[in-house]
Amino acid sequence: MGEALLSSKNQKILKDGFWDTNPITFQILGICSALAVTTQLKTALVMSLGLTFVTAGSNVVISLIRNFIPSQIRIIVQLTVVSALVISIDQILRAYMFDVSKQLSVFVGLIITNCIVMGRLEAFAMGNPPWKSFLDGLANGAGYSAVLIIIGIIREIFGSGTLLGYHVIPASVYAQGYVNNGMMVLAPGAFFLLGIIVWIQRSISGYKES
Amino acid sequence: MNTNSTRYTFVFAIIVCVVSGVLLSVFSEGLRPQKELNEELDVKRNILKAVVLKEPVAPKTKAADVLKVYDSKIEEVVIDDKGNVVEGKKPKQLTGKDTNLFPLYLYKEGGQVVAYAFPVVGQGLWSTLYGYLAVEADATTIRGITFYKHGETPGLGGEIEKEWFQNNFKGKTIYSLKDHKLTPTIVVKGKAADVVSKDELSYHVDGITAATLTGKGVTDLMDRWVRVYDAYLSKLRKI
Repeated sequence: MGEALLSSKNQKILKDGFWDTNPITFQILGICSALAVTTQLKTALVMSLGLTFVTAGSNVVISLIRNFIPSQIRIIVQLTVVSALVISIDQILRAYMFDVSKQLSVFVGLIITNCIVMGRLEAFAMGNPPWKSFLDGLANGAGYSAVLIIIGIIREIFGSGTLLGYHVIPASVYAQGYVNNGMMVLAPGAFFLLGIIVWIQRSISGYKES
Repeated sequence: MNTNSTRYTFVFAIIVCVVSGVLLSVFSEGLRPQKELNEELDVKRNILKAVVLKEPVAPKTKAADVLKVYDSKIEEVVIDDKGNVVEGKKPKQLTGKDTNLFPLYLYKEGGQVVAYAFPVVGQGLWSTLYGYLAVEADATTIRGITFYKHGETPGLGGEIEKEWFQNNFKGKTIYSLKDHKLTPTIVVKGKAADVVSKDELSYHVDGITAATLTGKGVTDLMDRWVRVYDAYLSKLRKI
């Protein structure tokens, strides 16, 4: 190892994944799940953790075998690794964290089809050593998580009047005639929020259309 | 090494398949006993929830304690399609072939039956809904209902697993003593009080906003299973 674990190059990998090339706001990947699981903060959190774990884990595995993968079948190999990882996690959850696995239900399986996982494998892990790939997976997972959590918080508060299942909008406000915003629970609400977040993030990070 | 030759590609693909295949089978088989235990415990927890125990078990109660309560309060029997109890059979022994046999769970306090619980299963919008329905000793009034497994949209159809939805069923009647007919609970679109007359409120419950089809699924499964178990329940009613 000629390089410190968190050298300036590696710090840049972290910053890129989280901010400069954020998978959602910059690469516009993983949008479907960002819509599907953000009606409540809890599911958004769990999905975030799951995706970060899978992206980092599969990045390491693919990076380790990157020099042996025949290029014609690399996508299939990547998919196999990701699926095997996700299914193993699902099995472990079912055996030892049954409550969590019940809440996740279909979401765990959805991680396999998340474009971010495959995207990072193709774009990064195929050409970089394991530790860098791990950092890249972690950073992209965190970038994805940040956006999901923001959307989850806003949608749950305005759509259901709760946060993590606890009522945050007092009953007295409802008595005044306030009603929950039904659009927030549906996909369009997430689309509007997502658009606004992409706009804000891109103005700050100085994104330019190439 | 030429990693692009046909031969290498084949060998590599086979290795990947075998390794991941073995890994997955080991996980699946090795964890099977633990998984089955969890599922059984989940079913028992939900039966206990549906029958509304006089002293409810807290959500965090340890597995062993839940099983102890279950064994002391719940009696498992099997009935046939004529409503007769089949001696010597337990719900656990039922297989897919036993289409004429149905599990029934009796909740007893001090030797007296307090409630009858039975599974209700049916299609929602996206998924199969699994739940338990419990009726009081009068075989007419709903004591509780629970849905414990489904794949409906969280926040929309997924609301069927929430207390507010399930509480709406409590006190509704599945049989009309006045008209002498079955009245399986119907999930309406919107608020029940706005949609049906006062007389019919005894078997209509509020729907879930933006989840009309999941509600329809619940209506259908109520209708199906209330009719199936009526073979047994009708014998208990004092008319």
